[in-house]
This record gives sequence, C-alpha cells and structure tokens, in this order.
Amino acid sequence: MLRNNPTLRHIAGRAGWYFLTFLVAVTINFFLPRLGDASPVDVLMARAAGGGTVDQKAQLEKEKQFLKDFGLVELDAKGNVVEDAKGRPVRASLLSQYKSYLFMSLQGDLGTSILQHPKRVGEIISTALPWTLGLQLPTIVFGWIFGNLLGALAAYKRGAFDNVAYPGALLISSIPGFCLGIGLVFVLGIKLDWFPAGGGYDDGLTPAFTAEFLSSAGYYYILPFLSIFLVVLGGQAIGMRSMCIYELGTDYVKYAKLLGIKESKILLYMFRNAMLPQLTGLALALGGMVGGALITEIIFNYPGLGTALLTAIQTYDYPVITGCTLLVTVTVLLANFTVDVLIGFLDPRIRVAQTGSK
Amino acid sequence: MAVLEVEDLRVHYLTRFGDKIQAVDGVTFSLEEGEILGIAGESGCGKTTLVSGCLGLYIPPLHLTSGDVRINGESIARMSMDENRKKVLGQKVAMIPQGALNSLNPTRKIKDMASDMILSHDETVDPKTIYERLRERFDRIGLDSVEVLNSYPVQLPAGTKQRVVIGISTLLNPKVVIADEPTSALDVTTQKAVIRLLFELMDERIISSMIFITHELPLLRHVSSSIAVMYAGQFVEVGTTEQVIFDGRMPYTRALMGSMLSAEPGQRDKKPFAIEGAPPNLGKPIRGCRFAERCPVVQPDCSSTTQELRIVRDRQVRCKYAS
Amino acid sequence: MKLFKGLLKSPGFLLGAGLFLLTLILAFVVPLFMNVDTETRVGLAYMPPSAQHWLGTDHMGVDMLSMLIAGLRSSLEVGFMAGTIATVLGTLIGVYGGYKGGLIDDILTLGTNLFLVIPSLIVLILLSTSLEEGRSLFLIALFIGCTAWTWSARAVRAQASSLRARDHVNLARINGYSTLGIVMLHILPYLLSYIFMVFILQTAAGILTEASISMLGLGPYDSVSLGKILFDAKASEALTDGAWWAFVPAMVLITVVVFALFVVNTAMEGIFNPRLRK
Repeated sequence: MLRNNPTLRHIAGRAGWYFLTFLVAVTINFFLPRLGDASPVDVLMARAAGGGTVDQKAQLEKEKQFLKDFGLVELDAKGNVVEDAKGRPVRASLLSQYKSYLFMSLQGDLGTSILQHPKRVGEIISTALPWTLGLQLPTIVFGWIFGNLLGALAAYKRGAFDNVAYPGALLISSIPGFCLGIGLVFVLGIKLDWFPAGGGYDDGLTPAFTAEFLSSAGYYYILPFLSIFLVVLGGQAIGMRSMCIYELGTDYVKYAKLLGIKESKILLYMFRNAMLPQLTGLALALGGMVGGALITEIIFNYPGLGTALLTAIQTYDYPVITGCTLLVTVTVLLANFTVDVLIGFLDPRIRVAQTGSK
Repeated sequence: MAVLEVEDLRVHYLTRFGDKIQAVDGVTFSLEEGEILGIAGESGCGKTTLVSGCLGLYIPPLHLTSGDVRINGESIARMSMDENRKKVLGQKVAMIPQGALNSLNPTRKIKDMASDMILSHDETVDPKTIYERLRERFDRIGLDSVEVLNSYPVQLPAGTKQRVVIGISTLLNPKVVIADEPTSALDVTTQKAVIRLLFELMDERIISSMIFITHELPLLRHVSSSIAVMYAGQFVEVGTTEQVIFDGRMPYTRALMGSMLSAEPGQRDKKPFAIEGAPPNLGKPIRGCRFAERCPVVQPDCSSTTQELRIVRDRQVRCKYAS
Repeated sequence: MKLFKGLLKSPGFLLGAGLFLLTLILAFVVPLFMNVDTETRVGLAYMPPSAQHWLGTDHMGVDMLSMLIAGLRSSLEVGFMAGTIATVLGTLIGVYGGYKGGLIDDILTLGTNLFLVIPSLIVLILLSTSLEEGRSLFLIALFIGCTAWTWSARAVRAQASSLRARDHVNLARINGYSTLGIVMLHILPYLLSYIFMVFILQTAAGILTEASISMLGLGPYDSVSLGKILFDAKASEALTDGAWWAFVPAMVLITVVVFALFVVNTAMEGIFNPRLRK
C-alpha cells in the first residue's frame, strides 16, 4: 500500500522522522537534569527526618520507598527492592534508569513529584495542561491568521494604511513578549483596574463546568490572551507584508493583469502564494511561541504549565520539571508534524518536490 | 480598415520626484490584417511603454499624454481601467510576455489559470464548456491537452510552457497580439517551433496581426513583414523588412542593424549596443535630432532642427539628410 | 567598502547604531563617572524615585539606577557572548555541511533540523536546572549559545551551499587546496557580511533569551541582569504594589536594545542582501 501511494509514504516518512526526534528529546530530557548531582531522595529524607526521633529501621524503609518511587533502585521479579550483602538497596545503573524512564514515558507515566510527594507528576500536569492549551492554542492560531491578513492588507493597500500599520507592527514585535504582558497587567490591570491582574479565575471559585466559573475564567482570560495574540500578530504581519509585496511584483502577477484577470482573483493568487512560505515559518516559530507563552503565563499567575514549571524550578522538583518539558516538547513536535503534512497538501510546489511525481 | 491604428501617441511617466519622462513621443502607425510589424531598438527606447499604450493599459506612474489608439475603429486609449480590463486586455489585444517561463502562477493548475482568464471576461460560461474549449485549443496548438491542462507549471518543460503561454494569451482570439521577446530564453529548436506556432495561429485567423519585439536580427528578418526602428520614444525608420535591414536610410538604423549582427542569437543579455554614447534624457524637452550626439554622419544643423518623418524611397525616415 | 559607506547613509542604520551606542555608553562608560553600587542598602524596599535615587530602590532596598546599569551591562555581556558562541557554532556547522554536501551535509542537516524542532528554551531550561549553584553569567551565556546555534547553521548552510558551485571555488579545488583552505579563502570572505548580520540577530536573541530564562528563575546566581530585575519585581509583587520603577525601566532598556539591533539588521539587509541573493 505504501509503495503505491507517494503521499502516504511521505507522511509515514515524516512521522518516522518526528518519532526519532521524540526519542532524542526524551533522551535529552532524561540526561540533562542528571548532569548535576541533585538527589531527590536526599531532599525528601531531609524533610521526612525533620523533628521526631530517628528510628533506623523506619528510616531505611522510608528511603527504600522513596528510591522505588523515583526508579533509582533495582527491583526483582516481584517488585521488591534488591538488597546487597549489607542490606542496602542496590542502586540501578544510569542505563537501566534510562530504559525504565523511556518505557514509562511511552506509557504516559511521568513519575512522582518531589515537592508534592506522593502526588504523581501526571496528576499535576493534567490539571495545568487544559489551561495552557486553552490559552495558547487559540491565541497563537488566531494571532497567526489575523497577522497574515493584516500583513496582506497592508501590502495591497499601501499608502496611509500601510504607513500606520507597518511601524506599529514593527514596534510591537520588538517588545519582548512578556514585556508586553507586564505592560498590559500594569496599565489595564492595576492602574486602570479594568481587568484582573493575575490568576485564572476568581479566588472563591473551584473549577467546574458551570456558567459562573466559565464566565469568570473568560474574564481572566482576556489580558493573557491579548498579550500573546498581539505579539504573534505583529510578527506575522511584518513577514506576510514582505511576502505579499514580493508576490505583487512577480512575473505571473504581471501576466495575469495583462490577461485581464480580475483584481480580486489576482489578490487571491498573491495571498495563497505568500501564505505558503508563512506556513513553513509557522512550523519553525512554534517552539519559540510556545516558550514565550509559557513565560506570559508566569506573569499572569495563570494556572497552566508555565506556573507549574516555575514552581518546580524553584523547588528543584525535577520530576515535574522534566514532565513539563517533555510535554511541551511533544506538543511542539505534534504541531510541527501537523503543519508539515498540511503544507504538503496545500502547496503544489512542495508536494511535487516531496513525492517526486513527474 | 486597419486592425490597429496608433495616432500620434504620447505617453509619459512621472518619477518619484515629480519629473515627467516622455517615454513615447509621437508614434503613428497602423497595422493591417495579416501584417507582422517588428519593432527593433535599444533598451530604454520606449518599446515597453509603447506596448502599454497599444494595450490601453496605463498603470500609474504611467499616463497617457495625448493621442489615440484604435482597434477596428474603436478607441481604447481613454477607457476606464475596469472597461479596459474587461473589453480589451486578452480580448482585443493580447500580450505574450517576455519572461514566459515565470508567467504562470506556480500554485495553480494550467486549466485553472486559463479558466480564470475566461471567466474574468465572461462570468456566464460554465466550467464544462470552458474545459472543452481549453482542450480543443490546446490540442490545436500541438499540446497534449489533458496532461498539460491538469499540470502545474513546475511540471512542464520550458518549451511546453511557452506554448501554454501563447495558448492562454490567444484564448479569446485577440485581434492583435504583441509578442515581447517571446523566444529569448529558449534554445534554437524550440524557438523555431514557437515561431511556427505563431505563424499557424495567424494562418488560421485565430489572431489577425502581430507586433513582434526582438533584438535578434535573424528572428526579426524571418518573422516580420515590416519593421519599425524605435529610438528615444519615436519611430525613426519604418519600412519593409528588406528595406530596413539591408538598406537602412537613417544612420541609426544602419548602426543598429550592424550591432545586432554582432550580438549572438539567443542571447538574453541586453548589453548596450556597440554604438557609443547613450540615448538622450527624455525628461527634458529635446531640440533637434535625438540621435545627433551619437550619429556618425552628423551635420551642424542636426541638433537644432526638429526631425519629422519623411518619405524616402518608399519608407518613412526621420532624418533630414537621408536619401 | 562601498557597501559600508552605503550603510552610513542609511537612516535605519544610523538610528539603530546610535541607540545601541547609547546603551553601551550607559552600561560601560557611565559607571566610570557615577557611583554604581549594587550592594549597599540605601533604604527600604521599593521606595519611589527621589532626588538622591532617581529610580528609587529595588526589592532589597538597593539603588535602582545602579541595579539597572549593572543589569544592562550583564545583559549586554550575556547577549554578546551567547551571540558569539551561537554564531561561531552555527557558522562552523553550516559552512562545513553546506560546502561539503553529500552525506556529511545530510547528517548535519538532520541533526540541525532535529534541534531546530525541539524547542531551544526547553533544552535551555533542562541544562540550567542541572546546575543548582554556580549559574554564572558566563555559563548562562554558554548554555544559550549552545541552544541557539540551529537557525544560524541553517541560514549559513544555505548561503555556503550556493557558493559551492562558483567558479573560483572550483578552481581552488582543482588546484588542490585543502577543504580548510578553500573554506577560509574562498567561502568565508563572501559570507562575512551575512555572518555579521546573523551575529547581530543572535546577540539580540541572546539578550531576550537571558531575560526569558531569568523570568523562570534560572537567571544568574551571582550578578544582576535586566531579566533578573524583572523576575524580582514579579516575585516581590512590585507589580501589584504599583511600583513602576521596579520594572518599567528594565523593560524599556531591553526593548530599546533589541529594537536597536533589529533596526541595524534590517538596514544591513537592505544594503548587503541583493549582493548575496541569486
């Protein structure tokens, strides 16, 4: 089946490449934090030991449990901790730790948090993830779409509209993303008090699918949304404007005009042809956008992955850190893969090159 | 009645600084049915602007100064842009562009771009009829219509693309076709095929007459029935092919023909001809003969007397001393 | 040289370079004349601007203006170092792959694309968290440089690849020049202006990345940076207290520096690029 269908073959190829990338990402995710010598077990032991008498046997049991939780020891067939001659737990080698980490990750098991032990990382992330997705996905997508529309408009109309829009977009895209966020919080949130200065929803409420909660969440959504949206908008508008100006000067636009083809049709030509390289640019920029949006979440105390990451970093909660980074990476990879496949369908130039037809 | 009549056409363009450059300064000629007029001249002589004028297409900063252009008696010089687009472009006058290889929208199938053109002139035609017309026409010009129509430009070789462009340009059977260096990027064999195609289209009355612009002498000789030599916005010699090429009476004509002979055929590069000096600045009013500064046989009063076209030996020559 | 003169005439270049020069003066020259003290507590936390302390105090009670100048200096240093590392790494990989072509190019491109897709901020976070202490400015710059090289590698590779087919390069190869020799003598000189533009962008990116990573609490341990000032402002709730001097100046400085570099880069692109494009 794959042999006969070049498109499927191409998609399968891309999927394979992305899977390879995923493996590399997981490996990086595992090894980098372990470059240092932080030991989560020591941290927990210190915490557990605080106050009260020291009972050697109880301590050992606790230690074994912690080591087991963090996958740092060898387990026998029954799942018990293997002990050496002195009765001390045998530490697993880095390689076997890696293997079990890989195995667990592929199953979606991201381990246990240190700070909030025995809460599992997966639980922490699954509470935060919807907020991040809900904020970043629509914001980046809409920012991208409207940014491109704005850029195309500026390129076509030129004149007064362009003279205002272009410098404006340039300025906005020069402001670091989170700076815009800080600015908005300060001006609109604190000084003018039009919007809340932080958080995802009113303090008194608990997350639920009620109208009250949803409207509160919506209200808190506005500033962070604007923050990210405007930055993406500005950046895209500038790029699209350049692309469109270029397209308007091409031979085929000139020829289309000479043939008497309608202006609206020609504009469609320009737009479509300029959009396609923009899609490629989107794939490259996604990683950066997501990173920037994470920091925006921090500024707004938004209960998403960004804040979770910040807390984890400040408390050296490694499992949560690596859990968050892995998840973000997977999301970015998925998004890139989607865009990659989409481009193949939309741009005949790339499609022909990819599938090598005719 | 002539197919195309150009009467004392003057076209200028405005630079960013407000200067008025008179790119076409009084051109008059008529094109009869079946006639192929070759236009020869250095780059910057006003050929391209003249083409715009013949199309009735004045996109700022290009503006019509004065004069008239008529197709089959109907004036097209002062139409609104919308009217011009609908009635003239592609329909009465069509252009085969210079960079034909890049003239097709890379993200549109051939049949789609061609049908865009048809629909832009007549919205009522239905897709089935359009497709059939396209098939019929493309087959007629020697292309495998089904394959070509459903392809993207990137999938077609250069020679095929050139045919496609000619096919699309002549789709609505325009009376006048203006070919602007249509073969400059092609190899000799493909050139021959393209020229042959153009002749066929004329023979079959799909197109009535043609204006052919080129700076390759063999091509000029082979294709044109008459030739106009253009210099600094004016025609300086107009006559039959034989007359102009072998027996030019205006000094510029002789110099031009001589330099074209030394340029290699098929070379796309528009290097300045071997005539020394440069054409005059058309932003300022010019007195006397425009070629005076570079003319090898210039006379003392050439720069002070305005030159008009006179009849010398059955052709028009813009030179006081031609005989 | 002719191009350089064109640059000096371009208003964009002059504006950008001028702004950048001002920030350099502020960071490096002003301290010679002014007492920049980032240690002494001169008052309570977040005191508003006054005659003695033009920009008030920070969260520790230290003179804010001093912190800003010191922070600007650190940020510029980090940006410069990170930019250099990223540019050098990226150029080496890009030129080697682009010139050699073939299998080596394929492998290098695969690697580059791999790291291009994996968000560099993530890798940076992971790298930084492995060091609990001793996150010096230099190490941070090193980490940023090591994660930012991918796009310059890609960009430079494209340029090098197009140069590969040029006549003088082929001649050199025929004459038996070594790969290193050809790269140094025949490829790099043509790429210099392009590489310089890449460097400018990487420096700007380095400054922004440092600010971002500081916002995550992974900033330098031992010194101040503009990003750290912002982080402290957020952590100490200066925002909600309305202490604008705690973050507005830092924000403005970052924006001005980055904007200046972007403008310079755009101006350069206008002058240099037509030459390099096919």
